[in-house]
Amino acid sequence: MKNINREDIQIIVRHSSLTAQGIDRILKRKVYNDKDAWQKFFQIFIISLGVGFTVAGIVFFFAYNWDDLNKFTKIGLLQGLIIITTLIVLLPQIKDHVKNIILTGASVLVGVLFAVFGQIYQTGANAYDFFLAWTIFITLWVSVSNFSPLWLIYLFLINTTFILYSEQVAKDWSGIFICLVLFLFNAFVLISAVYLDKSKKLKWFLNILALASISYATIGIVIGIFDKYQHSFPILIFIAAITFGLGIWHGLKTKSVFYLSVIPFSLIIIVSALLIKISDSEMMFLLVSLFIIGSVTLTIKNLIGIQKKWTHEQ
Amino acid sequence: MAFKKNGLMSNKEVIKELLDCFQNEADTPLEFDEEAILLAYQKEDQKQSISIKILSIFGGILASIAFLGFLFISGLYSSDISLLVLGGVLIVTSIWLNKKSDRIVMDTFSVSAFIIGFILLGFGCLQFKVSDNILSIIFIIIAFASLNIVQNYILSFIAVLIINGSILTLIISNNLYNIIPIYIAAIGMMMTYLFLKEGKIITINKTLSKLYNPVKIGLIFSFLIGLIFLGKKGILPIDANYNWLSSIIIIPLIVYIITILFKVINVQNTSHKIGIYIFTILILLSTALSPAISGAFLIILLSFFVNYKTGFVIGIISFIYFIFQFYYDLNFTLLTKSIILFSTGLLFIVFYLFTYKKLKANENV
Repeated sequence: MKNINREDIQIIVRHSSLTAQGIDRILKRKVYNDKDAWQKFFQIFIISLGVGFTVAGIVFFFAYNWDDLNKFTKIGLLQGLIIITTLIVLLPQIKDHVKNIILTGASVLVGVLFAVFGQIYQTGANAYDFFLAWTIFITLWVSVSNFSPLWLIYLFLINTTFILYSEQVAKDWSGIFICLVLFLFNAFVLISAVYLDKSKKLKWFLNILALASISYATIGIVIGIFDKYQHSFPILIFIAAITFGLGIWHGLKTKSVFYLSVIPFSLIIIVSALLIKISDSEMMFLLVSLFIIGSVTLTIKNLIGIQKKWTHEQ
Repeated sequence: MAFKKNGLMSNKEVIKELLDCFQNEADTPLEFDEEAILLAYQKEDQKQSISIKILSIFGGILASIAFLGFLFISGLYSSDISLLVLGGVLIVTSIWLNKKSDRIVMDTFSVSAFIIGFILLGFGCLQFKVSDNILSIIFIIIAFASLNIVQNYILSFIAVLIINGSILTLIISNNLYNIIPIYIAAIGMMMTYLFLKEGKIITINKTLSKLYNPVKIGLIFSFLIGLIFLGKKGILPIDANYNWLSSIIIIPLIVYIITILFKVINVQNTSHKIGIYIFTILILLSTALSPAISGAFLIILLSFFVNYKTGFVIGIISFIYFIFQFYYDLNFTLLTKSIILFSTGLLFIVFYLFTYKKLKANENV
């Protein structure tokens, strides 16, 4: 049986004698979510809310910094909680996705543990070493669970650690260099993930990563255009050029419109920045406006052409 | 999650197969205009990708910002009559272009022309000391007219947002802040109607079937914008004591959807139904003074119900944000907040274990 989707129904309804009741029946059978999907959705939704709220409650409890609790009780409580949650994950009768959600909660608790440690010993709540410790100590869980939301938290922590380090310790690093490192790191993770993801189930995860990498590259290059010259600037341009090329190639190969639209859009922003760098007169702004319209239109025209080719190949 | 794959089919045999599929689902013989359908597919097969739509919108917005830069640096924004004329010409051009050829290639240009046109018209009117009220009404009329003339996806989406923005401006510039909760409730009702009566709406006429998708996403965004006004304290001087005016509509809407869901999920046991009703209403009532949370939940439920992925993602993100904002703004000590959060979490976990057991029992039967 063919898969009917919403667009098919909308096109066909305009040229047929289908009635509202008929459409409703087809929508219910072919497009809308069925019983199984709803059950799965509710299970994941409710357990996520449960774990999420409970962990948030614990976070707030320790943020309250109760004076009557001595430091051993505080840290002991948290360690106990982490041990209990981790033990629950080891129970064989729990489903995998529930285990992953609980482990994600436990990973947040590790952060709370280090925050409380910082509270007691006055290391500061936003110190980079707090995030560094948090990152290091959940690494094992992240790799064992291989759960994409947890991976996302993990990558977010690494990015945060690095940005805080650059703000608190390596104050002489330039904006371009920071963007270069972040771009390299995220692009490296992205490329490895694309290579390893044989199941093709992680599209949203990969797209977020790609968006982050491309944003770092774009921001870095735009800073480079307006700032004074830095040695890392040509390196960034060189690596970005190679990576963007790879991205386009990957997009063409896997028929992913996402890469083929995000990368040109980044280039359009970069060229617009370059134009404004050349002159910031009123006419230039008018030109930039026209340039954006023209280049986006051209991109879309090409994309449509490529898509047509793809459909014919099928 | 069981979102079905998108992607339109193109050639003749596939369409034939598809029409047979429709026929199988119907109990009376159907008539199809196969030539017209084939033609529509050849035209529409350009319209599938959300990436292209976002590219058009972002391109349009960026171009409009650059154009605004031009306007301010050149000082042209203070010349009254030419702004009005140029604004009018741009809006008419963008509508006319779409009417002439509904090609997706033209989207960026027409979107930019449409947005810039409205901006120019706005500046022009301000030069003539036209009041906010009249300006808003003019915008609403133009946007409505454009919806009637062209049903291009992006233009219609922006037109819906312009209508929403103008209504909000009307409310705010007349200091009627406390109407906002009622307005949001009204959008929530419209949105729910639109989601649940899909078959009915798209069969009324061609125009509505084309407007269905853009108006749906436009309403979601309008609803969200309103919810942000309620959900984040301090943006507008809305008296929080009136917030329940939204909840009083949104909560029954959610309960109504759950009633429909009982049929989908096949819950027949009355005590289970009552249990789920009590649990849902209790949880929702606790958020009655911050309707943003139940509003985001409404978006999630509706979008999942009709399998609308974009709306679902928007719903989840806003749901997390509004919950965070709610507890952040709450005027309790951290300890009290902690106790509330912790017990809510436990409640959900207990509910999960309870339903899990029931499901297990059902599976074993």
